[in-house]
Amino acid sequence: MKLYKNKRILPYLQIAPAFLLIVGLLGYGVFNGILESLQVDFSWTVEAYQTLFGNSAFWTSLWYTLYITFVSTMIALLVGLCLTHFLYPYLVKDRWKAVIWVPMLFPHFAAGYLIVLLFSDSGWISGLLFQSGAISQLSDFPNLVNDTNGLGIIMTYVWKEIPFVVLMLLPVYVQMDERLKDVVLTLGGKKHDEFLTAQWPYLWPTIIEIAIILFAFIFAAFEVPYLLGVTFPQMTPVLAFDWFFDGNWDQRPVAFASMVVVTAIIVMLTIAVYSSTQKYRHRLMKGS
Amino acid sequence: MIKNIFLKTLLVLSIILTIGPILLVAIQSFSFRWVWPDLLPQRFGLRAWKAVFEDPSLLQALGNSMMITAAVVMLTMVISMPAARALAFEQFKGKTVIETILMLPLLIPLLFIVMGLHLTMIRFNLADTLAGVILVHLLPCVPYAIRILRTGYERVGTKWYEQAIVLGASRQKQFWTITVPMLMPSIRSAIVLTVVITLSQYALTAIIGGGIITTLPIIYYPYFNSADQPIIAAFTLLFAVLPILFWFVIELICRSVTTMIRQP
Repeated sequence: MKLYKNKRILPYLQIAPAFLLIVGLLGYGVFNGILESLQVDFSWTVEAYQTLFGNSAFWTSLWYTLYITFVSTMIALLVGLCLTHFLYPYLVKDRWKAVIWVPMLFPHFAAGYLIVLLFSDSGWISGLLFQSGAISQLSDFPNLVNDTNGLGIIMTYVWKEIPFVVLMLLPVYVQMDERLKDVVLTLGGKKHDEFLTAQWPYLWPTIIEIAIILFAFIFAAFEVPYLLGVTFPQMTPVLAFDWFFDGNWDQRPVAFASMVVVTAIIVMLTIAVYSSTQKYRHRLMKGS
Repeated sequence: MIKNIFLKTLLVLSIILTIGPILLVAIQSFSFRWVWPDLLPQRFGLRAWKAVFEDPSLLQALGNSMMITAAVVMLTMVISMPAARALAFEQFKGKTVIETILMLPLLIPLLFIVMGLHLTMIRFNLADTLAGVILVHLLPCVPYAIRILRTGYERVGTKWYEQAIVLGASRQKQFWTITVPMLMPSIRSAIVLTVVITLSQYALTAIIGGGIITTLPIIYYPYFNSADQPIIAAFTLLFAVLPILFWFVIELICRSVTTMIRQP
């Protein structure tokens, strides 16, 4: 009897520490954050949001952040998918897998330095172009790192996230039923049929998951744009961080309001993507 | 044939693009004089590495980072392993909801959460302390660790544990003779990733540590603006050395405990 009872409770006990930690810190942090965005001098008001939405620098930064996030996520996903698709027979071997892990060892801001070393105007690529005669002086090299288009930030994220995408997709490729590809070929399907009908149904749920993780991360991350970003336009998290640490505490509610907006965008996007793909998910489950 | 050449080229190209930049950083860290537009430095030396390890503020940050990382790795594993096991082996009410909640830190901006926690952390005397920093560092680490370890448990399956129970092995013995050796690839990935995530946190540490707890990322930013390239390069490489070091130490501990338990 005791054993039976323990068995029912055991999984909950095993999950409890992780659950309490996340609900406690995340739940409380979000709750308090929303509260602080709605309070100015201990009274309830939406003043912070009015200030925020009336601030043109915020709108510029929001669009800029969306653009950088979208471009980085898409490039990382596409390149990661192509690499995994074509190279997975190699990548499952330990020595190549070790190569994928190497960029994973570097923090994002360290990857930012790699990009600076390569692509800044006095960087290695610029030296290479000079040696090969493509440019005749240092100032001919385009400003790629500290530029208003955020190319340095995008390159950093792409270099850092491609290995992540590959590592997330590899298990899916390993588990895929190779015989399905043969079925497609015997039935007269072409190479792209093979990918679309035999592999894509297994791949897309993971691809969507990776896309959301990357989008949420890049959209709200602070480290890389703080290191490589220009003073204008700034990515929204950097703006929020600066407002938060501003000498007088007047800007704090605005800092919170801006992060509420960022969080809301991420959450709404995730819900939209998941609910619009839900029916296909069911079909997939029934089909297999 | 053509496909083979294409694949080989793609493989070589991706390896160059992955490893190449890191090699350049390594060369830069050992360079003595390297001026544009030379493709390689004229002279090599250990000046930058010496400077890095002689800077007292960096050594203090290194010490703090090591302590925080060690604590975060241990706590993350202790918290994540049972949760991952339950998610892998058990069916229970509310599992989907719990799964979603456990993955929420990957979705909700950490910067926002930590900003929201700041005042409360001050009230509980956790702001500006190592404990507070360690606590918030767990948030980005635990979801990844649970995910990786869960896949590990699912791959191993329940059969080994059933056999161990039949043979009368205690829970502790099961852990050291089945879980640790069989899950080693997943444990290794989880530990390395946890170390990297902890060593990547600037904003979390800056807000909760309040500038009093200096870690490697906190002092990386002023270093980055110093424009002494070889020193920044050496500092950058240090970040990749630490996860390997931690992995090595933990692997050693796990191996020796496993062999000790196996030999009666």
